[in-house]
Amino acid sequence: MKGLTSLERIIVESLGKHGQTFEKIQEHTGLQENVCFNLLQALILKGIISFEKKTYQINRNISPLMIEEKNGQEAKKAESLEVIEAIADMKDDKLYRFQKIALDEKDEKIFKAMLHNLESFLKEANEKSQSSTLLKDKKIIFWGMSDVQKVVKQIVKG
Amino acid sequence: MSLQNSTIQRYRLFYPQETLREISARTGIQITRVFRLVNGKPMRLKEFEAFEKAIQIKIAENPNQSRLNKNLEEASSILSHEELGRIADYIERKVNNRKFTRNLLSPIFEEAVIA
Repeated sequence: MKGLTSLERIIVESLGKHGQTFEKIQEHTGLQENVCFNLLQALILKGIISFEKKTYQINRNISPLMIEEKNGQEAKKAESLEVIEAIADMKDDKLYRFQKIALDEKDEKIFKAMLHNLESFLKEANEKSQSSTLLKDKKIIFWGMSDVQKVVKQIVKG
Repeated sequence: MSLQNSTIQRYRLFYPQETLREISARTGIQITRVFRLVNGKPMRLKEFEAFEKAIQIKIAENPNQSRLNKNLEEASSILSHEELGRIADYIERKVNNRKFTRNLLSPIFEEAVIA
C-alpha cells in the first residue's frame, strides 16, 4: 500500500518534532487506547517511528525513497479520498456540498477570488489557533472544482 | 503461512466466537482432533475440505462477498495495472483500518514481534 492510512497519519502528526508519550498521543488524537497502541506498533514495524525513553518519535533515518512513498502525490491522493469518503459517510454533524453549477465567465472569476480570500482567512485562522488546538479538535476542510467535460474525460481515461 | 494455517485463520475470521465444540459440530471433525488441528497438527484432505466448506457456506450467505469476487475477477481482466493498483490500495486501507480497531494485536504484528 502506498502511503499511510489516515489513522496512521494522525498518529504521525501528533508526534510533533520532539515526540510524545502514549498518554499525550491519545489526548491529541482522541483515539481509543487499543487503536492508538495498534497504530503505534504498526508504525514502529514499518520503521516510521521509534520508541525510546517512554516517548514515541518520528524516525530520523527514514530513507528519501520511503518518504516519497509515504508523502508522494499518489499517497496524498489516496489519503484525502479516504478522509472525504469518511465525511460523506457521516450521518450527522457534517457540512458536505457536492453540486454541478452553471457559472459564466464573470461569476467564475468572482468565485475564484472568493476562494482566494477564503484561503487567506483559513491560513490566518490556523496560525492564530494552531498552538492552542488539539489535533482531534481541528477541522478538515476541502474544496475543488473542475469542468464536467474534463472530469468525464478523466473517468473515461481511467 | 501454510495453506492449512491460512484456512484456519480464515475460518476464525468468519466464525470468531466459536468454541472447539461448535467447530467440531460444524465441520464433523472430532473435538480432540479439532484441538490438535488449531494447534498446528497437519490436516488431512477431508478435514481441510470440511473447513473450506464451512467458509464457503459463510461466503455464500453474504451476497456482497460473491459480488466482490465476481467484480474482482472481471476487474483483473479489464482494468489497467494502475487502476487495479488503486483498487488494491483502497481495499488494503480499509483492511488496515479495521485491523487497528481490534482489541488485540493482529497476527501480523505478533509474527513480526516474534521474528
